[in-house]
Amino acid sequence: MTGLAKGGACPYNTGVSETRAEIDLDELVLKYRPVVSFRVRKALGGATPDWEDVANEVITQVIEKVKKGEFRGESSIGTFIYTITSRRIVDFIREKTKILRHAPEPTGYPDPHESVESREKAAQIADIVKNLKPKFREVLDLYYYQDLPREDVARELGIPPRRVSERVNYALKLIKKNLKKRSDDSTFSGPGRLKG
Amino acid sequence: MNKCSYEGWIDEYLLNRLDDSRRKEFEEHYFNCPACFDMLVERDEIIGALKGAPSAFASEARRAAPNRKTTGPGRVFAWLSPRQWALAGTAALLLAVVLAVIPRFRGPAPQFVMTGEETVRGGSLALIFPVADLGAAPAEFRWKSLGENVEYLVSIYEEGLIWKASSKEPRIVLPEDVRARMTAGRAFSWQVKAFSAEGTLIAVSGRARFAITG
Repeated sequence: MTGLAKGGACPYNTGVSETRAEIDLDELVLKYRPVVSFRVRKALGGATPDWEDVANEVITQVIEKVKKGEFRGESSIGTFIYTITSRRIVDFIREKTKILRHAPEPTGYPDPHESVESREKAAQIADIVKNLKPKFREVLDLYYYQDLPREDVARELGIPPRRVSERVNYALKLIKKNLKKRSDDSTFSGPGRLKG
Repeated sequence: MNKCSYEGWIDEYLLNRLDDSRRKEFEEHYFNCPACFDMLVERDEIIGALKGAPSAFASEARRAAPNRKTTGPGRVFAWLSPRQWALAGTAALLLAVVLAVIPRFRGPAPQFVMTGEETVRGGSLALIFPVADLGAAPAEFRWKSLGENVEYLVSIYEEGLIWKASSKEPRIVLPEDVRARMTAGRAFSWQVKAFSAEGTLIAVSGRARFAITG
């Protein structure tokens, strides 16, 4: 893993700050709702039933603040929304702690509230992994499933840590490629038509 | 387009291996970098599927080498012998029985449904005044007492929170500057939260609305 200075080498993040006048609120909601939802769900855990409410509150707050002119373009709009999201998460946890006497714990994988669609996708991924070459399956098992640090995986497999990253990345590429192929196949076969 | 240098942080973030400052840095980053966010979502899906599918690795022999340093699920299983597991199971069963019995000897706990910071509801704290429209700004707010050693936190809202204060009595006098802001034609709402001496939230009122009709 490489360390980066803040605002490091990211070709996608131009650091350009939007001004209030440039902000299209519909576009803003469309773009940032998934990001806010992801961050809230990661912090509170998908098992916390309120996470969607919290994400919606954040979006509402963002819209209100932008309308009131509280976004002055001193930071990027992404950073502005990130700050609002983080504050709301902290408030929620503080409030919840008072009632439950403990903070909601983010759930580990898998998320019990995931949709049917993502469960199907998870089953597809598991199936793809089963059919990978043993060396890829093994590295995924140790690195992701058993949660071993890269160095420990390297020691376990008797390969350099760099090779672990390469194998993991290649295995991920194979999974993505197979997922895409399955998705394309099901699209082309269409309803009521036999595949293969 | 070159790849973003934060890409290497995605796994570390999803596997909770980043320290606090790096985690915050990465979170701020993916709010600003659509490419990293897309990759994050995609990777989250894959890791979630792998974590939830031990059968995918069923053919991997779980080698129990003596020097193997494991973490996560693997570490837990390698940690105890079968006999120790049996003892731990018995202890867990006893604990479950004890925990199931204890709640029968307790009084009913207050019930809350929490859907967000400002929408907490509790049924045991009744607001007395004001709960309807008024001709002028109220001088004080009153609610039903919950006994001694209770501290009440009163919040008054217009569009957002306009004033918040605490009181040990079931009433609170409104400061003049806040009253002065409650002019005719404006509508407000208020809510009280009650805390025990230990600071635990014990009751929350509904939110009462009133308007100043002038």
